[in-house]
Amino acid sequence: MKSAEAYSRRELLIGAGLAAAATAGRAEQAHRISVIDCHTHAGTGTTLTDPWTTIADPQEILRRNKEAGIDKACIFPISHDTFEEANREIAQIVKRYPGRFIGFAKHDPVNERGRIRAMLLDECRELGLRGLKLHVKPTPEVLDTVAELGIPVLWHPGRVAMFDDIAKAYPTVDLILAHLGSDLSSDWREHLAGIEMARRYPNVYLDTGATVLTRYLEQALQEVGPEKIIFGSDEPEVDCRLEIFKIRVLKLPKQQEEMILGGNIQRLLGKYKGGAS
Amino acid sequence: MKKETRQPLVIDCHALVGAGRTWADPEREVDYDLNLLLERGAEAGIDRHCVMPPRNHTYTEANRQVARICEKHAGKLIGLAAHSPQREAGRLRQMLVEEVRSMGLRGVRSDGHPTRELLDAALELGIPVLYYPKPDRGQPLGRYYHMPATAYPKVNCILPHLGQFRSLSWPAHMEALDLARRYSNVYVDTSGVGSFKYLEMAARELPPERILFGTCAPELDPRVEKHALELLKLPPDRYAKVAGLNILRLLGV
Repeated sequence: MKSAEAYSRRELLIGAGLAAAATAGRAEQAHRISVIDCHTHAGTGTTLTDPWTTIADPQEILRRNKEAGIDKACIFPISHDTFEEANREIAQIVKRYPGRFIGFAKHDPVNERGRIRAMLLDECRELGLRGLKLHVKPTPEVLDTVAELGIPVLWHPGRVAMFDDIAKAYPTVDLILAHLGSDLSSDWREHLAGIEMARRYPNVYLDTGATVLTRYLEQALQEVGPEKIIFGSDEPEVDCRLEIFKIRVLKLPKQQEEMILGGNIQRLLGKYKGGAS
Repeated sequence: MKKETRQPLVIDCHALVGAGRTWADPEREVDYDLNLLLERGAEAGIDRHCVMPPRNHTYTEANRQVARICEKHAGKLIGLAAHSPQREAGRLRQMLVEEVRSMGLRGVRSDGHPTRELLDAALELGIPVLYYPKPDRGQPLGRYYHMPATAYPKVNCILPHLGQFRSLSWPAHMEALDLARRYSNVYVDTSGVGSFKYLEMAARELPPERILFGTCAPELDPRVEKHALELLKLPPDRYAKVAGLNILRLLGV
């Protein structure tokens, strides 16, 4: 073993440099924003009429997430009429793969009316779910509970215009508009309406998932800025490896890309105030 | 000694130039940005694009514009004509003969169900027909493909978007796979498939000769479409066919 005197000045400098680099690397690692996919379905369905009523296999999702460099995904059930059982399955999946998933509940405000507050409180406090996914327009019962819990709502509405009165009436509820307003870009006008909605209301955010006409992602970025855009994929029907590429190909400044890929959703998830058992 | 490796040619079989209305939405007017296509195509590593006009009422002028642009960008673009077999009936052969033999176009997009007039001309000229049916509600995709594919086995038909632009209906992708399996003259292109798993299914289930790389650029981002091709992780020989050799063979280039 060399004595301290035997080390040349150059060796000592190299050693110091390597140590500094390692420290910086650890610091960078510690400060790296997790990449989070805000829009992933998981679990089993019962009606077997379409892929989204049959199965969304978490292991397949994890395989693609790993390849895409996604650290965590917000998962919620596929299509059902009511969601109590499906939400329990989501909680089980989250538990089965620690650190990889963030569970969201899903509910149908019409089919499950009158029972949603109790279910959602239980799902957040007891099962650890941290958000709500909706397709049907939320009722006051849903929105009051969501406001009480401080959880974000990822909503895929029939029409973007449905966001208007909800966003206005519940300014403290964070609403994420799924698919930038139009699933698979089936109607480009809805993308424009979505961008306008995010510009008008501070509490409306845009999820990027399953946007085929990616020029509207670019337009959204220009018009509402990266702080209102949240990366999502719509796994497993839409592949997260392609969806994340749609963000990375924009070659944004690092800070902006981090906001979209994880920082923004992390901020919204950090508002949880529902408590735990 | 450094080993020389040749990169396979990447030829986009489905891109757009010129003015008109989008194929997906006849209410949206477009004048496609050629520079955007070329810049993003180059960034994606695409060697050449086959370009066709967007939707028009009739196509004489639109096809001339395609030919002019291709002449100016020879080596980068290959021109395809478009025609409406219904609105341009009676004049199709004459127009296509001129567009192919004098103006250098290499294929035709059928705006509407292909008729005998269009398919006879395509057979005579040895050019492929790109046809994307917009099925009526409840009509399966095969309803539009079985007859032309059966009656004209020597005319190569390209079914874009693996049968369904943006994957709005997953059964159409399954039908497209069935059509390509059944008919040796039916090919599918990879452009604008929203649900990537159906492209993976095509790569697994179809012979590689029957899949053509396409982008639908600049309507869609060619960099994203090319990334989808890479994600298929095809072995080199299959990749070369899908990426470019297949379309070059169909075009006789």
